[in-house]
Amino acid sequence: MMKKKFLVISGPNLNLLGTRKVSIYKDGSLEDIHLGLEKRARELDVLVDCLQFNSEGDIIDTLQKAPEDYAGVIINPGALAHYSYALRSAIGAMLVPCVEVFISNVHAREEFRHKSVIAAVCVGVVGGFGKKSYILALEALVNLVNT
Amino acid sequence: MDYGRIAVVHGPNLNMLGKREIGIYGGKTLDQINADVAAEALRLGVQLDFYQANSEGALVDYLHGCLGRVDGVVINAGAYTHYSVALRDAIGAIKIPVIEVHISNIYKREPFRHVSMIAPVCVGQICGFGSHSYVLGLRALMETTTDPWLA
Repeated sequence: MMKKKFLVISGPNLNLLGTRKVSIYKDGSLEDIHLGLEKRARELDVLVDCLQFNSEGDIIDTLQKAPEDYAGVIINPGALAHYSYALRSAIGAMLVPCVEVFISNVHAREEFRHKSVIAAVCVGVVGGFGKKSYILALEALVNLVNT
Repeated sequence: MDYGRIAVVHGPNLNMLGKREIGIYGGKTLDQINADVAAEALRLGVQLDFYQANSEGALVDYLHGCLGRVDGVVINAGAYTHYSVALRDAIGAIKIPVIEVHISNIYKREPFRHVSMIAPVCVGQICGFGSHSYVLGLRALMETTTDPWLA
């Protein structure tokens, strides 16, 4: 049987991880996150592809094609979480489950970050656990798809 | 810090799991969920204390008693999540890591459930994965005070 494949998307500014606001986002890079996800995927006997985009439109293009190749999607939308209705529509239109992740605890930050416009179209949300948020989201998604 | 003992706390109406609104909360009873979490704790090598209360004051008392007794808390505060300032203050006061979990995706439900009073004083939040949210919450907690970034 072919291994199930999952897509991990990180949104705007997450390419700068490790170079900005280390107190909020800790000191690892996005590459570290991707390596951690690939390691956990091997343990779970699944595959992951990890991508990052600063452009909202690029994320939408990618999500529209995602169900052809992937059993589920993990998304850290970054700031887009709080206002991108286009992203919400793209996720809502997908026929595979999506999990929203955040590195920081968005509820402990500025008020405009307390509201996610995409949470309602996702299966669930994992936030506040640093790099581990992504790993937990992968575990959640694999568990969901396998049960 | 090494985790030795962790409290798993369930709020109001969660004693009715498996008996009410199965479409939202799933068919597992609270005992079955606790058994799943206990199996994960065994794998992770930590001891668990389970507690469920319908009374807000009882939950506040229990959280106060966690200070100095357990190393972390996984809490599903049920409906109190959305309006209990007392619970928020209790979590803020005990200075041990607390993880907020929910069985359902609260953001898919009524608008009054979209706000969590306790989220700002918790380490983080996991919601929407059914009873598996608790297992994920326990795993999240285990890596909280070791640097989550390096985990």
